[in-house]
Amino acid sequence: MKKDIAVTVRENVPVAENIYKMTLFSEELPKDIGAGQFLNLSVGDSSHLLRRPLGIMAHTQNTVTVCYQVKGEGTQMLAQKEAGDQLTCLLPLGNGFVLDESAKKVAVIGGGVGIFPLISVLNAYRGQKNFVSYIGFRNLAATCMLDELSACDKLTISTDDGSYGKKGNAVQAFLADYETEMPDEIIACGPPVMLRVLKAELSARKIDTHCLVSLEERMGCGIGACLVCVCKTTDGKNARVCKNGPVFDIREVEL
Amino acid sequence: MADLSVNICGVQFKNPVLAASGTFGFGREYDTVYDISALGGISSKGLTLEERLGNPVPRIAEGRSVILNAVGLQNPGVEEFIRKDLEWLKSKRVVVIANVAGRTLEDYGAICKRLNGLVDMVELNISCPNVKSGGMAFGIQPQSVQCVTQEAKRNLPDTPLIVKLSPNVESIAVNARAAEAGGADCISLINTLTGMVIDIERRRPLIANNTGGVSGAGIKPIAVRMVYEASQAVHIPVIGMGGIQTAEDAIEFMIAGAAAVQVGTANFTDTMAMPKIIAGMNRWCDAHGIEKISSLTGTLTLNGK
Repeated sequence: MKKDIAVTVRENVPVAENIYKMTLFSEELPKDIGAGQFLNLSVGDSSHLLRRPLGIMAHTQNTVTVCYQVKGEGTQMLAQKEAGDQLTCLLPLGNGFVLDESAKKVAVIGGGVGIFPLISVLNAYRGQKNFVSYIGFRNLAATCMLDELSACDKLTISTDDGSYGKKGNAVQAFLADYETEMPDEIIACGPPVMLRVLKAELSARKIDTHCLVSLEERMGCGIGACLVCVCKTTDGKNARVCKNGPVFDIREVEL
Repeated sequence: MADLSVNICGVQFKNPVLAASGTFGFGREYDTVYDISALGGISSKGLTLEERLGNPVPRIAEGRSVILNAVGLQNPGVEEFIRKDLEWLKSKRVVVIANVAGRTLEDYGAICKRLNGLVDMVELNISCPNVKSGGMAFGIQPQSVQCVTQEAKRNLPDTPLIVKLSPNVESIAVNARAAEAGGADCISLINTLTGMVIDIERRRPLIANNTGGVSGAGIKPIAVRMVYEASQAVHIPVIGMGGIQTAEDAIEFMIAGAAAVQVGTANFTDTMAMPKIIAGMNRWCDAHGIEKISSLTGTLTLNGK
């Protein structure tokens, strides 16, 4: 059940250049938060009317943790919040990652701020799946969550400029490894260009492994009413990223 | 407990707080967060004869105390609404207002004819700033406001007609009178103001449509002024909207001349905004000894009078 609740900031700390990790506390948190779902968070300033949709990275009975990139005024406001400050948030939202029961080995492809919802999948399916992960960052300064990611059975980190890990991007690293690993399922989240290249490469190489992607779009209501955050589907319709997604079968959406 | 009920054009509302078109879909999504039967009414997402897919994304951006949107009337078409959503919406026992838009005069006539007698009220959207033809094009010149209102009313013999006015006009009073002259039973205002926000790094507008409709708390003083001017210009009821976030905001609109109010952007800021506004209006009335909220409408006295 979705709930719009007051939450208290427990922790709000930088974890990489312009990236913050924020943990929110409430005794009213819904019990049914799934991997890959998101929340819609106020920025705690009355002149900012839109909430910020953020993928949930981790949760406990009374806490929920998100990461965000400081991009504009709203996220700058968020970055100034301190432990004890009050915000409001609506959660859990959207359809998350539900992995195939039969899939044993799952390839995880993440880029930039797209890694955070993927970490929730690693947490949710810990011990049940064999995760081979390909994570891309812009450069060394952008790397974060390496401890959380190290829970994977195999982890390949790359940076665009080669300042940490392999030089290149996550999709290249995944493709280079594909024949060796032959995953049963693929999950991905990252910048639009990364997902577009992934879709094109899977199609060109005739790889029909089930692939789920989580999309990002500017949102209004966060629950599917306002039709602001649509994406194009391959049948020529619109889907609502907040309600029908954010996780889609890669074959069903235009990227 | 004050009496929050209002009666507009013979339609009874349990309270004067209505969901504004375009922010609330057909109510189903918000009903998963709270019971929408608490509301006075719902103005549907703008309906057209045929399904529309709307504008490219991004469709929304933020300014200080405002937002901009350019959804472009994405909707499933009036038949799909009637088939899939209307009965459900009626079962929630809220006043159902169908917001309708068209590309041509004939579109407006046809969609009104289809909805006549099926919904509690029809709200004519002649003020959408985000579509290339129709929409606001009908809402700017007073002659065309009167003409499209006449065409709609001719096809709505059994259902009260609200005409939703654009603020992007020379004189809101003149256009309000044009709607009244065309046979409107009620007017609602304001729709969004046309605006633009620019990403200075890319030197491009943030919204794919380049311009969008500005709404939210920042436009409230403009909306209050226009509601006052329009309500002074006509003898039909006025539904006020534009930046309402709190019970006090809603009461301000009623004093300015509104018989009821619509809430839009505030639903994004706080999913529970409307139930909170209704509860707050009740408290305000009790604290001020107001027995019937309808007694507040149009009670403004200008300074110097």
